Amino acid sequence: MKCLLVFVLRDKCRYLLAWFFLSLALSSAQLLLPAAFSQGPIAVRIDELIHQRADGTLSPLASDEAFLRRIYLDLVGRIPTLAETREFLTRRSPQRRAQVVDALLASDEYPLRMAQLFDVMLNERRGEHVEWRGFLRQAFKENRPWDRITREILNPDVTQNISRGAAFFYTGRLKRYGQVPADVPGLVRDIGRMFLGVDVQCAQCHDHLFIDDYAQVDYQGLLAFVGNTYIRTDHPFPAVAEKQLTEKVQFASVFDGEQKKTGPRLPGGVEFDVPKFEPGEEFLVPPDKKKKTLGVRKFSTLRILAAELPRSDNRGFARNIVNRLWWVMMGRGLVDPLDLHHPDNPPSHPELLETLTDAMIAHQFDIKWFLRELALSGTYQRSSQLPGGFSDGQILLPQSYRVALERPLSAEQLLQSTLTATGVEQSWSIDPTGAKAGQDQSTIAAKEEQQQEWIKLFQAAFANPPKEPEIEIAPSVRAALFLMNDTTFLGWFESRPGNLVHRLAALDGDRLVAEELYLTVLTRRPSTDEILEVHTYLAADPAERTKRLGYLAWALVTSTEFCVNH
Amino acid sequence: MAFKQEVNMTNKFRCPQQEHQISRRRWLGTTVGTTVASWGLGGLIQPSVAESLRRDHKQVLFIWIDGGMSQLESWDPKPNTEFGGPFRSIPTSLPGVYISELLPQTAQIMHKLAVVRSLCTQDNSHSAGVGRIQRGDPKDRGVTYPYFGSAVANLLGPGESALPAYVWVKPGSGGFKHQDAGFLGPQYGALAFGDGQAPSNLSRPEAFDALDDQARNRLREAANRRYAQNRRRKVTDANTYVFDTAQTLMERSDLFDQSTFTRQELQRYGEHDLGRHMLVGRRMLEAGVRFVKVNSYGWDTHGDNFNGHASLMPRFDQAFSAIVRDLSERGMLENVLVIAMSEFGRTPRINGHIGRDHWPEAWSLAMAGCGLQSGVVAGATNPLGTWVKSEEYDIGHMFHTWFHALGIDARHREYVINGQPLPIAHEDCHAIKELLI
Repeated sequence: MKCLLVFVLRDKCRYLLAWFFLSLALSSAQLLLPAAFSQGPIAVRIDELIHQRADGTLSPLASDEAFLRRIYLDLVGRIPTLAETREFLTRRSPQRRAQVVDALLASDEYPLRMAQLFDVMLNERRGEHVEWRGFLRQAFKENRPWDRITREILNPDVTQNISRGAAFFYTGRLKRYGQVPADVPGLVRDIGRMFLGVDVQCAQCHDHLFIDDYAQVDYQGLLAFVGNTYIRTDHPFPAVAEKQLTEKVQFASVFDGEQKKTGPRLPGGVEFDVPKFEPGEEFLVPPDKKKKTLGVRKFSTLRILAAELPRSDNRGFARNIVNRLWWVMMGRGLVDPLDLHHPDNPPSHPELLETLTDAMIAHQFDIKWFLRELALSGTYQRSSQLPGGFSDGQILLPQSYRVALERPLSAEQLLQSTLTATGVEQSWSIDPTGAKAGQDQSTIAAKEEQQQEWIKLFQAAFANPPKEPEIEIAPSVRAALFLMNDTTFLGWFESRPGNLVHRLAALDGDRLVAEELYLTVLTRRPSTDEILEVHTYLAADPAERTKRLGYLAWALVTSTEFCVNH
Repeated sequence: MAFKQEVNMTNKFRCPQQEHQISRRRWLGTTVGTTVASWGLGGLIQPSVAESLRRDHKQVLFIWIDGGMSQLESWDPKPNTEFGGPFRSIPTSLPGVYISELLPQTAQIMHKLAVVRSLCTQDNSHSAGVGRIQRGDPKDRGVTYPYFGSAVANLLGPGESALPAYVWVKPGSGGFKHQDAGFLGPQYGALAFGDGQAPSNLSRPEAFDALDDQARNRLREAANRRYAQNRRRKVTDANTYVFDTAQTLMERSDLFDQSTFTRQELQRYGEHDLGRHMLVGRRMLEAGVRFVKVNSYGWDTHGDNFNGHASLMPRFDQAFSAIVRDLSERGMLENVLVIAMSEFGRTPRINGHIGRDHWPEAWSLAMAGCGLQSGVVAGATNPLGTWVKSEEYDIGHMFHTWFHALGIDARHREYVINGQPLPIAHEDCHAIKELLI
């Protein structure tokens, strides 16, 4: 099988012949797989369905080096260390890619990366809270199913220490800033966007003008669930409570002015009644002022929302998480944009989305399992270099997935990768729950504090402002000025014992320098040209060798190749 | 009942009943081919789009007088009337037109200006007014409109200078003010120079000399070229663009060197914040920046309005008249649209603290340059200065007028955001014809 790939890679003349063989192989997708990895049944199906609609050549599988960099960035949020790369490249097992996927999914760094990913995705840089971060880390450490995580977010329980921080999803949006009121429309919108993949913002005042499927009642029905939620101030951690909903929400279209009402209702779903209670009859457990409890209401819209939205028979809920995780790993949602699922915006691969959704439901919303399936597919492991025959990639539609899409690195991924590359810090992997062997508490605290400072520095330079989704690669002048001139960052390229430049300075011979440099920073070996460039540049002024080593390292860390996930 | 309140609260977010009626028809008849706004990388990587939109390098100087300049102590004095206050009016270079005696130097260049005395806008609070005015008070469609600076940056692009399209010279702190951009996306936000100083990370650390810097960037660029081989151009192009802009900005650090202003320049513009900031603003315009905002704070004279204006107005008079003169003498006024305004005017009624409060109902602004008539006063207030007696102009009328002056057809140009076409200026308003050439 390797021969086939070599044809595709190296011999354009035989490319048609190779494609013929590949097409034959489609009927049995296993045949397509190189010996380097094994797949689960869903991964196989992904490749079949992507191939069916590819309509042209696909790029070959990425090299082991490219795969390793990509999977580390996706699953643990940083590039591999030099030692990890070298060790991986010695492996000959056909299972080696699956092995590294499994090892990373089982590592301590996986929940930290997932917590950051979901924090940025769900809260869009609306601030940080230690309880929220703790909730996410614990959830991913236990691999809590997505439906349970969603329930914990939509109806946060102050009595549950392990999940109460989830309330930050609400409190971050309901908080008032000076004269700026609580962002109730934003909250309604984001429940639709984050958990159902529908953005009903433009259906607030009338049925959506361009999306027939989004009606005003969809917005108003969601509002009925959360419109009476408020922030509790009697707890030091994020907490919300709700006032009793006593009437349906009234609304009117700005076009015809007709008065309408709705009770709580999920978009496209059934409307829930709003029951009437005699005064004093609305509680199952009455509030207790002495114990400072708010009691339990017989009718709680948050409880209904948490029970009804994250259900396995709610197709929109399941599709949304499938599509979002697909975007995380593949760089583009099967439905794009992520929050505009509706019949007039069909998925690029309808059958694939349905297959994945079925599988996700069958696996009880197991995020780790799902990521593993995606990671083991040939589609994920494809090269980001254009397939043969293309000189200009613009004519290649991204939704064909014929070539791996380049993806942005978050400020956090970029920081951890930079620390890893420059050798300032091996990784951020400090066990949040306790001491690692050989590390005392004060060292850990000091390191965490240092990390927090650096994270703020990188967020200021690279993160989007609050409420701006981080979906695409978006270079900025601000980031460029940081990379060129920030003194903390530039300090990492000065020779200090143990760091990259120090190590390079100790090496004998420019070829060795180039190999160590490229393998450390870009997780690949240098080309002949690149070795020559290193040699020429260093040899031009031997007196300035250390300084020049620093510039070489800086140039690679600030290059596009380092700053994107490709 | 509790929830009823919530419902009422949400009503605030709704658009008024009669809205959209006209525009909806138009939207539905409009093709998406008019796409102007772009998300993500669009604005960065398609200089060709900006290219096709470029006029002969029209620029804007937007002087923002934060807090509310009193129209009665500036453009629309009513001496010897009930609310007129203690200041006299003086004749100007425009026969028959009088302005406050607090603007003696401006009075001499009145024939270069275009003044509107019939503004009637909606918001009388700072928190709402500053944003509403600078966003052109668009209809509430549940999206956040861009400030005028971001709008111009988007519609006209950065131009050939390779400098950022929208810069903001202001007292206090600087930074990247993405909020101004609204739905256009952060890249159209303002690059703010606090106290006219350089943005963070602009200067190269001393350890690097120019040759070092060149050497390391050459290595970086070579690495990028290798990466781009056999890959889509999009990412590398965008990256190249931002690094080039950053480097241009670094090379133009002279723009921020206030020590090189001559003694004479400082005397003419005034040796105070506004004077120095206006000089920095002039440099930005000369360097080719598309949109320059210069900010003055502290005009909210609820108490002691007259002493307040007696001390504030001369600084404005000096800096404003100096820059209009300079732009005119350098032949730049033809292509630079100058606007000086606040979020509202001040009440004719003088309050118990000898102050004037917020008054959006009848106030004034001044303009000059690009696309505008010179020596014209549009609109008028009644003899007491309490209400507009001619046609009332909202900020939407001004946006139409400004866009027209810049050669942008605000009746037909639209932003398209997530498939939704959005007018660039309020569709119930129109350009003020008597102001336009």
